[in-house]
Amino acid sequence: MPAPPAGTVELPRRPLDVFRWVFGAGAVVLILWSLLRIDIKWSRLWDAPSDLWTIGTLMFGRMESGDIGKLSGAMWESIAIAWLGTIIAAVFAIPLSFLAAENLVGRPVAWVTRQVFNILRAVPEVILALAFIPLFGLTPMAGVMAIGVGSIGTLGKLFYEIHEGIKTGPLEAADAVGASRLQRMRWGVIPQVTPEMTSFLLYRFEVNIRASAVLGLVGAGGIGSDISQALLFKDWGTAGLGLIIVVVGTIIVDTISGAVRRRIVSGRQSATTTTEPELAITGGVLG
Amino acid sequence: MIRFEQACVTYPNGVVGMKDLDLTIDDGEFVVIVGLSGAGKSTLIRAINGLVPLTSGRLDVNGRDVTKLNRSGLRELRSGIGMIFQGFNLVDRTTVLKNVLMGRLHEVPTWRTLIGRYPAADIDLAARALQRVEILEKAYSRASDLSGGQRQRVGIARALAQEPAIILADEPVASLDPPTSHVVMRYLQQISRELGITTIVNLHFLDLATAYADRIIGLRDGVLVFDGPGSDADEQVFESIYGRSLTADDTMTKHAAL
Amino acid sequence: MTHLDTVVPDAPTLPRKPRPALFTIATIAAAIALTIVTARSVDFSFGEIIGNLSRKNSVVEGLLNPDWGQIWSRRSRSAFIETLQLAVLGTATGATLALPLALWTTTFGNPNRWIRTVVRSFNNVNRAIPDLLWASLFVASVGIGALSGLLALFFFSLAVTTKLTSDTLDGIDMGPIEAANAAGASLPKMLRTAVVPQILPAYASFVLYNFELNLRASAVLGLVGAGGIGLRIEFFRGRGDWEALWGLVFMFFIVVFVVERLSVTLRRRLV
Repeated sequence: MPAPPAGTVELPRRPLDVFRWVFGAGAVVLILWSLLRIDIKWSRLWDAPSDLWTIGTLMFGRMESGDIGKLSGAMWESIAIAWLGTIIAAVFAIPLSFLAAENLVGRPVAWVTRQVFNILRAVPEVILALAFIPLFGLTPMAGVMAIGVGSIGTLGKLFYEIHEGIKTGPLEAADAVGASRLQRMRWGVIPQVTPEMTSFLLYRFEVNIRASAVLGLVGAGGIGSDISQALLFKDWGTAGLGLIIVVVGTIIVDTISGAVRRRIVSGRQSATTTTEPELAITGGVLG
Repeated sequence: MIRFEQACVTYPNGVVGMKDLDLTIDDGEFVVIVGLSGAGKSTLIRAINGLVPLTSGRLDVNGRDVTKLNRSGLRELRSGIGMIFQGFNLVDRTTVLKNVLMGRLHEVPTWRTLIGRYPAADIDLAARALQRVEILEKAYSRASDLSGGQRQRVGIARALAQEPAIILADEPVASLDPPTSHVVMRYLQQISRELGITTIVNLHFLDLATAYADRIIGLRDGVLVFDGPGSDADEQVFESIYGRSLTADDTMTKHAAL
Repeated sequence: MTHLDTVVPDAPTLPRKPRPALFTIATIAAAIALTIVTARSVDFSFGEIIGNLSRKNSVVEGLLNPDWGQIWSRRSRSAFIETLQLAVLGTATGATLALPLALWTTTFGNPNRWIRTVVRSFNNVNRAIPDLLWASLFVASVGIGALSGLLALFFFSLAVTTKLTSDTLDGIDMGPIEAANAAGASLPKMLRTAVVPQILPAYASFVLYNFELNLRASAVLGLVGAGGIGLRIEFFRGRGDWEALWGLVFMFFIVVFVVERLSVTLRRRLV
């Protein structure tokens, strides 16, 4: 290359990115500490692949087709738990979400309602299931209650974020014709938020299917119970089939629910675009 | 030297991008290609570095038959040809220097690019390329913090960092305002003259074309319809290239007056 | 006052009222039907809920009267630390591998259509298996202990971060890719210089988000025997010591809350 000749050009001083270094160093320290202090015999990691392979061949090598009916029934029970739980959560989350939107109620009310959501969101469903089992016994109802109570927080949060994103024009119009508070909600807010809320509800249902499949592992009904029993009694074929049914069932419900969601969202023109990335962040993938 | 012989490009959707092209471009020439959008300007430029493969015919670039190159041969060819884009094609989130170092990718070992540590010689080369377009002080700025004209200068620096024998510029000023456009065109012209780099530029504006080109090539529907020195290209010639009478949109200055 | 009658004298006929969209009706009907059918299959009853919840029970009593003394218990504290370590290592391994895996699912990152399909299917299947199920499988095959928990979190993190990262990759600017190719870059070089810088801030933020999720997840892994605080929770449940159980859970919430605040602050700086 050309004028200017090699070595004659001096770059400006390179700026130091303190944040990046601190962040990076912190992460490295944390990882090293965990790696060295955790109570794991790392030598066992070498055996893990062969252990997995053994179990895998046992699980998928000789599956009992006779179990299909029973396990499918259990998967259906998991789906039922997820659906009813979602519905129960919605019954509570919808009215509460209006009380958490700062543009609809005063700030103090919104703040208090949000703290309720935050607390409920913090409790893992499995812990709730543990708490409901002594009350409801080892039944699907314990699962329904766990999912129902556990989803109020997340649904409420998603919903009030939708409410806060609405256009203010219709609200103003409602005020201008002298609408009461309730009328204002009914005609100014609800028509705007219904499609998104429905879409999020379905999305939460998809997440809850994964949750309810798991609840059975601690005894709260659904296919998880069958799988954990099978694993306990080393009934590998049944466990393997159960696993396949969980995956297939989840993917089927995801596909149907996802198609309905897309249809609902595409039925609307604007506004929805803002909620899509939100969906990705708030945990499209909790399961 | 670049030589097309009976070169044709037909896209999978049936659109003809180049038809029976015979064209020779000598080393060090500054060539401007004009034509309506869709006339095959981009196709011609991208054929030279193999981004668009010929469907038939022959294309020699610096003694190599482009149609016969395999993947690593193509990479080798491309490393010697700098390219400048209408949309700049910079990585906005990273520094100007890192963007220019992209021009050194072919020469730098893979492991070095993966950890982001480039040899000092390559960094020096990138710095000199930035100096050449007078934007060295922005080396550690994010590309997204620059103005359009500055970004295109980074684009030129990236091409220069390849130490290319040929520079291809695809509508390099289409996203810029008139004064900035002239700055960018002057850089390209100077570089071509001082370093003897063959430069091929696609342009839409006729006044820019006549102002800077040593040689103008007119394309219409993928066919070469004019080839001559910039001074020969008058209004009539352009009307024949465009197949219609000229409008205010075809020149930059009137455009600017609007 | 003007009356409409004076402006529009003839009684107007409205255009025919459009029928509500078939899709809406079908969706509502399906939702109602699904609710009825599912309610039957789990023997749903309001009476049972009200009855069970209003009965005096040790669970709610423990909840109202949690045992904060757990903070001083050495065993609880080491269980906490193990949970934290599991979350860190699960994120470090799973989320790191997620970047190449996500790149492998894109057309520009993986020219081979078959490998792309295989990687995508793996991701879909992995995503359908919940974390606790992974943990149960590893406990059954590798054995009880933190290693099983780590393996479970590895797959869980892989699923989460790969999904989020590939969604981001769908929306990147293709210009730099063209530029890198035009400069003769090989595939790995192109990905490193033209693609990775574009998604790096988003990816870093996903990793942090993944860490938050892992912290929550690692709390329950122990319920199936895969290490961490869940083992203690299971222990107290077995004894029916709900005061201690809730005390432990509340402490865990405080830890999660602090970590989440930190993580949210960091994420805001990154994007």
